[in-house]
Amino acid sequence: MTIFLRTLISGLNLGSIYALIALGYSMVYGIAKMLNFAHGDIIMIGAYTGIVAVMTMNFPPLIAILTSILVCSLLGMLIETLAYKPLRQAPSLSVLITAIGVSYLLQNLALLIFGSEQKAYPTLGAFPGFTVLGVKVDGMTVLTLTVTAVIMIGLTLFINLSRMGKAMRAVSEDRGAAELMGISVNRTILITFAIGSALAAVASTFYGMTYVYIKPTTGSMPGIKAFTAAVFGGIGSLPGAMLGGILLGLIEQFAKAYISTLWSDAIVFGVLVLVLIVRPSGLLGKKRAEKV
Amino acid sequence: MKKTAILILAASLIFSLCACGSSGSSTENNAKTTHGDKELYIGGIGPTTGAYANYGLSVQHGAEVAVKEINETGGIGGMTITFSMQDSQGDPEAAVSAYGKLLDWGMDVSIGTVLSGEMASVVNASANDDMFMITASASADACLEASKNAFRICFYDSYQGIAAADYVNQNLPGKAVSVFYQSDNDYSVGLYESFEARCKELGITFKTVQTFLKSDTDYTAQINALADSGAEIIFIPIYAEEASTFLTQAKNGTADAIFGENTYFFGADGLDGIMGKVSDPKDANNVLMLTPFAENSTDEKVKNFVSKYQAAYGSTPDQFAADGYDAIYVLKEVIEKAGYTASSQISGAKLSSTITTLSYKGVTGEMKWKENGNTDKGCTAIIYKDGAGSVFGE
Repeated sequence: MTIFLRTLISGLNLGSIYALIALGYSMVYGIAKMLNFAHGDIIMIGAYTGIVAVMTMNFPPLIAILTSILVCSLLGMLIETLAYKPLRQAPSLSVLITAIGVSYLLQNLALLIFGSEQKAYPTLGAFPGFTVLGVKVDGMTVLTLTVTAVIMIGLTLFINLSRMGKAMRAVSEDRGAAELMGISVNRTILITFAIGSALAAVASTFYGMTYVYIKPTTGSMPGIKAFTAAVFGGIGSLPGAMLGGILLGLIEQFAKAYISTLWSDAIVFGVLVLVLIVRPSGLLGKKRAEKV
Repeated sequence: MKKTAILILAASLIFSLCACGSSGSSTENNAKTTHGDKELYIGGIGPTTGAYANYGLSVQHGAEVAVKEINETGGIGGMTITFSMQDSQGDPEAAVSAYGKLLDWGMDVSIGTVLSGEMASVVNASANDDMFMITASASADACLEASKNAFRICFYDSYQGIAAADYVNQNLPGKAVSVFYQSDNDYSVGLYESFEARCKELGITFKTVQTFLKSDTDYTAQINALADSGAEIIFIPIYAEEASTFLTQAKNGTADAIFGENTYFFGADGLDGIMGKVSDPKDANNVLMLTPFAENSTDEKVKNFVSKYQAAYGSTPDQFAADGYDAIYVLKEVIEKAGYTASSQISGAKLSSTITTLSYKGVTGEMKWKENGNTDKGCTAIIYKDGAGSVFGE
């Protein structure tokens, strides 16, 4: 029983980090209809920004997080303007390759500036845990889950209720028609990237506080896992991203605890394949009828 | 289009032929015209920049301390040493071209490369060059196979696993053992396998064996299992970077189970430099590292080396630095025993047959060599507490 409970909690912890990253992935995909493979690397840049802000500039924790959010948003908008906007009419494969290129560019940039040695993320505060049925629950786990849930609800409300959100949904539905209705597609996508990258910065803070060590390649594996989580939950759907992330974390930790550490990734992706066979658009994804 | 492709192909062919020529032809024109007979050129190759720079720089600095000492006391057989370290960034290809560069420079003998992967390809390239090589730190079992003139100062990996098991058996008898290793890393797997085989012979069984992959970031499940196993010794044959992540998570992470006060985290030379990697020195408390070199040993030779190294580089030498220091001294011993007084006479084959008759006590212990290049030597273990290491059991 303890092992079960303990695995459940460590799964929730890992899953909440995946979910937080998956939210950004899913939002950008849902609106801009492109896979931003550089999302994981924006998280890495966000983490390095946090380290510099606290260690070299001596910013207080809250200001450091805000700096990180600002830097990531600007970076996201810069990437969109320089790399993706010129390819708006290009086939989606070209955009995908460009995104992979941007990902490597960011990694090498970090390698150049910060070197390949790992850096430790500063402690931004203590979050006392508590004990449930004899199992320790880390304060960070609760905080990450809460923040992810709040962001998910906030974003859903924003997209469904605000003017900008309406524009985003319109761009997502039919870019051409949205343009004809007087919506600036470029501006809408730019703002989508700004919000998506800001989410990456928030994720970087939680990643840094949980896993401490940051390297130039830090973003790539969580990025891939979070992308998987987004597909799992139904890419484009925000509640789906959260559900997918948490399920992914749980499956991974249970596989490690009960089956084999060696096979855990294979099991995670095996479950993904099964889900996609039964529900091709993911757990909460919208079914889209193909118009002929 | 086709024409340009052919042109490029031809150009690259000519280029590669030239490259081969420079290392191949050196066999014949071994007349070292680049420097005088009373000068001895020693070359070394290793990562002095990039991810593995800490290892390369340690070897380089250790060797430089030895070179300075020897030159101040009359050199090797009357010859003054000039030492050159070429940067490879840990890349085997770059190491081979660095080797070619050193041959052109006029290298007489070599301290080989720092990493095993580099050593394997450089040894391959040098098989017909009559170049004597003694690597400070390339420990993979097979990396010396291609040449009869390649030797090493450090342990070889399978021996390290055996030495680790013997150490546990002698110094920590009866304690429960669990293992945590990286299943997609040659060094880690090799060490685990030889450790396991030796433990079987000694009748030591493992409580649990946990693995991780390079891509893993979260070790919570493994940490819980290891702590639950009740082991008092966790054998961690992994590198310092992964070890720092593991230790930090084991001590402050989300894992529910915690290790006992007296649980040892026991590893080998891969843990060297762990203090520079952990964010909080306390995370490395109870790390036990198998090493042939203890920086605070009372041995006169070690004391002299440590104080000179500190004066020159402002830091305490690690195992790699000690290996580099010993490599230069072994070159001195073997060249003097072979009776050379002029650098143009030196033959790699002669040095290789000389070294197997040699016994030398350096800062990393007493060494004798076998024909396959390996050396068996004793080892101690260092234990870390609040950022400082001391010899275990003293």
